[in-house]
Amino acid sequence: MKKTKTMVASISTLIRRTYPSTNQCNSLATIQSQTQLPRESLQHHSSAEGRLRFSGRVFCSESGAGCWNCGEKAAFLFCNSCRSIQPVDDSVDYFQIFGLEKKYEIDPGSLEGKYKDWQKKLHPDLVHNKSKKERDYAAEQSAKVTEACRTLTKRLSRAMYIMKLNGVNVNEEETITDPTLLMEIMELREAISEADDSTSLNQIRSQVQEKLKQWSDSFVEAFESQKFDDAVKCIQRMTYYERACEEILKKL
Amino acid sequence: MMLKQAAKKALGLTSRQSTPWSVGILRTYHENVIDHYDNPRNVGSFDKNDPNVGTGLVGAPACGDVMKLQIKVDEKTGQIVDARFKTFGCGSAIASSSVATEWVKGKAMEDVLTIKNTEIAKHLSLPPVKLHCSMLAEDAIKAAVKDYKEKRVKTNGAAAAGETTQA
Repeated sequence: MKKTKTMVASISTLIRRTYPSTNQCNSLATIQSQTQLPRESLQHHSSAEGRLRFSGRVFCSESGAGCWNCGEKAAFLFCNSCRSIQPVDDSVDYFQIFGLEKKYEIDPGSLEGKYKDWQKKLHPDLVHNKSKKERDYAAEQSAKVTEACRTLTKRLSRAMYIMKLNGVNVNEEETITDPTLLMEIMELREAISEADDSTSLNQIRSQVQEKLKQWSDSFVEAFESQKFDDAVKCIQRMTYYERACEEILKKL
Repeated sequence: MMLKQAAKKALGLTSRQSTPWSVGILRTYHENVIDHYDNPRNVGSFDKNDPNVGTGLVGAPACGDVMKLQIKVDEKTGQIVDARFKTFGCGSAIASSSVATEWVKGKAMEDVLTIKNTEIAKHLSLPPVKLHCSMLAEDAIKAAVKDYKEKRVKTNGAAAAGETTQA
């Protein structure tokens, strides 16, 4: 009994050391399920559907209830054992769906492949011959995956989402009076409305996209040093620049 | 309350002549909003450095709106004699600031501080999702008055300093 405990303890320390950003609860639950499952099924998980590698981490359903159909413990969105779609678990966030760490900086190119893999399993069009319950699960899961992809692809929505995950709600309808920022945006919007030809519009657009990248980097800095007020300001600026880009595109 | 209504009428809000608030047919924007959008009153700018001008510059970062409202004040009477606005945002935001510039004209500065966003919203029949646009206009009015007052303090302070040095 003691031996198992020490073994579990040392495994968890090892995992914590290797993946420092892993959620503590998640890793412990993973270990417990690993010690209970026979070795064969463990290998089955990591090799089957091998395209879906979640950087070495095994995710199990947060509720711990397992697959509704066959009771398989590690059924994340979809049960690989009996191939049934699981109901949406609200505690699962978008980063987990794509097997990414909860960081702002991601490689947006990595999203599309995983998105397609998920839809091959979850899309409602693939479950016509299944029960109504499962078809409903498919519709919800598929929609959530689509929303997750959309949110994580664009810088601004990703920033706002990651702030939300940290309990900071950015989208509050407060008025701001920062004269420097507002003056700059005023001038920018005036320039856009005065610009007539596509050359000048595209010129302005590339300037704005420069600024977007710049403030996106500032957001990363602020967010990672937990300076949430500064992070909010970065997001506000990015919103203004995105809006300006939309106006340019309308004119082009 | 009655005085305010009389004043509103006096300001000649011609847009409302034949338009009842409640419209039988469901529209996306209320007619008052469309009117202010198509025929905006008082679009433009005053010289920011004019000592009789107060400039209010406000923004709604959630939707990327920016609103500039300027007032021209008669320094002797403290009355707002003219107003201008420039808004980049949705139709409701533009209409709200247009209405605001109309309502502040001819009023004393202290009076315009009592203009509430709910009144603007009611005049334009703004739906709940657009209430913040009228709030932005109310904030713009307050910011313009504040700017004017701060400018007066500066110029008065400079004048007083000038007097003491002369003496």
